[in-house]
Amino acid sequence: MVRLEKGKFDDFIRSLAEDYIVYAAVTTGGKSSFKVVASAGEIDEGRLLTDRSPKEIFFPHSEVLFEYDEDGIRETEKAGKPIAVWGLRGCDVKSLAMLDKVFGTARQMPDNEMFEDPYWKRKYDNSLIFGLACNEPRSSCFCNWLGGGPHSEDASDIFVIDAGDVFLMQPVSDKGKAFIGKMTDAAGASAQDEKRAAGASVAKASGADEKKAAELASGARAMMAEPPDLDGLDERLKGIFHEDIWEEMSAKCVNCGACAFVCSTCHCFDVQDEGKGGKGKRIRIWDSCMFPIFTREASGHNPRPLSRDRFKQRVMHKYSYFVDNYGESLCTGCGRCVIVCPVGVDIREVIKRVLSFEGKGAR
Amino acid sequence: MSNTYIPVNMRVETIAVEDKEKALRTFDLVFVDEADGKRFTYMPGQFCEFSLLGKGESPFGIASSPTETDFLRFTVNRTGSVTNEIHYLREGDTVGIRGPLGNWYPVEKFKGGNVVIIGGGFAFTTLRSLIVYMLEHRQDYGDLTVIYGARNPDLFLYKDELAQWQKRDDLTLHLTIDKPVEGWTGMTGFVPAVVRELAPSTENAWVVVCGPPIMIKFTLPVLAELRFPDARVYTSLERRMKCGIGKCGRCNIGSKYICIDGPVFSMEELGEIPETP
Repeated sequence: MVRLEKGKFDDFIRSLAEDYIVYAAVTTGGKSSFKVVASAGEIDEGRLLTDRSPKEIFFPHSEVLFEYDEDGIRETEKAGKPIAVWGLRGCDVKSLAMLDKVFGTARQMPDNEMFEDPYWKRKYDNSLIFGLACNEPRSSCFCNWLGGGPHSEDASDIFVIDAGDVFLMQPVSDKGKAFIGKMTDAAGASAQDEKRAAGASVAKASGADEKKAAELASGARAMMAEPPDLDGLDERLKGIFHEDIWEEMSAKCVNCGACAFVCSTCHCFDVQDEGKGGKGKRIRIWDSCMFPIFTREASGHNPRPLSRDRFKQRVMHKYSYFVDNYGESLCTGCGRCVIVCPVGVDIREVIKRVLSFEGKGAR
Repeated sequence: MSNTYIPVNMRVETIAVEDKEKALRTFDLVFVDEADGKRFTYMPGQFCEFSLLGKGESPFGIASSPTETDFLRFTVNRTGSVTNEIHYLREGDTVGIRGPLGNWYPVEKFKGGNVVIIGGGFAFTTLRSLIVYMLEHRQDYGDLTVIYGARNPDLFLYKDELAQWQKRDDLTLHLTIDKPVEGWTGMTGFVPAVVRELAPSTENAWVVVCGPPIMIKFTLPVLAELRFPDARVYTSLERRMKCGIGKCGRCNIGSKYICIDGPVFSMEELGEIPETP
């Protein structure tokens, strides 16, 4: 573990921005999201959870797949610096790792790169992720239901703890170790290499630092309520697929799709052509299983005609289908859907209702 | 890195109109770049995304057989915006193709067995691919029985080929139409009723059933009545699709995606899925 004094944070970000495109939480007009920054002053450092999910760094709301004209198709992606993300909360770090299972791998055709998503991989594979510990989780947080925690290092390259006047950094992955290694080397070389001089602010963490980190971690954990046992939730959901309970659970839902848009793991998209004459571009754009047109076929047939069917699809995908395919739930408990839902659907209540249901089909 | 979202160019070689209302057209395509053609190897039952720049993409089952190496065939029913545009294509035009996508009919498993193929309407495309494939490898299979239904005689696909198959003694073809029509010498009645009437033997038999959802819905119970085990009955499913590679989240039934886990499923596999196919 190393320590970075906050007085040197701006130098650190500026130095990082020389080698990386740096994303961090930025608040504009009262709404926060991850944006490209060049200095520490732009960063909303105290922000616990951004309003928009950071999935858009690697999977933008709208992304050009290629452009076309009379001469044919042209890919537009230019090679550039790798991406570094500063200050991703543990839930969001985990979300990206889950999305990497979808986009970065080929579940049915391993080793066949035709089934990998090049747009995702180009950005995510070389990225450097700075996870940031949550010292004070909020009431909508439920990462601890899903195997996470406010101080979870999982899937971070470097895990950062805000310890007051200093950031404590723990390298986690090989990439993270190499990065911290380079920083501490630079600190040793002092001002010889001016470009790396910012690294001089990094020092080995002291015993007091480590103690402080442990205190913050246990304090944060204590702030979160004891989670229910979700073991077997995936099978239980399948068992009650045809029960009326869905009518009751989805009664409030207006299928607006806000949950899916702020969700850090929802990854459904549409592909559309935009253009005039022979010139234009093919884009992919976020979509949601909440919308009836999502599955409506040209014939008019819709396999999920009712609001209830679509509500059920979203819950099933997150807590049952994804478990079948990838061995974990497609939810990290970030709580954005709880915060944003205009009619007060709380996914935690839905899960609890499923767990307590004792009708037919429940086991 | 290869990019599976980029279609490869194919030229429309020939267009055949299948029905009097011109709602069904068959397009035979050839690769503009031969190298693309060499890379493109497929099996009966697989599908492609058919792309028109500026108009979009639609998925279609491949109607040609891998044994027909000169062309790739698609039959397109005009229903939506993309299929409408496809119908405006002329011979010589260039289109984009992504694929082959999805799994295929288990022709290896079928080897040594009798195969009963049940089709309806314009869903006969990949069944044609399967039949042509098996006829090319005829010695690998036992009896081949084809039951094919259409609303009226005009709506059968590949009529010339069906006439040729009628004459073969190594394939039994039963054609049926919904209601009697003057001059029709084939069978009359809906596919499920015809299957019940013909009652194909279950002995060492595999069944492939593909057609409109309503036909599949009423044919499956008949197959169960005839005591075909679920593990020996295969069907091919359709859903709205976009990416074709299991990313865009659109075409699932339960935890299966039609585009990568299907489109071909056995009834045994589908039985484990709570969501209705």
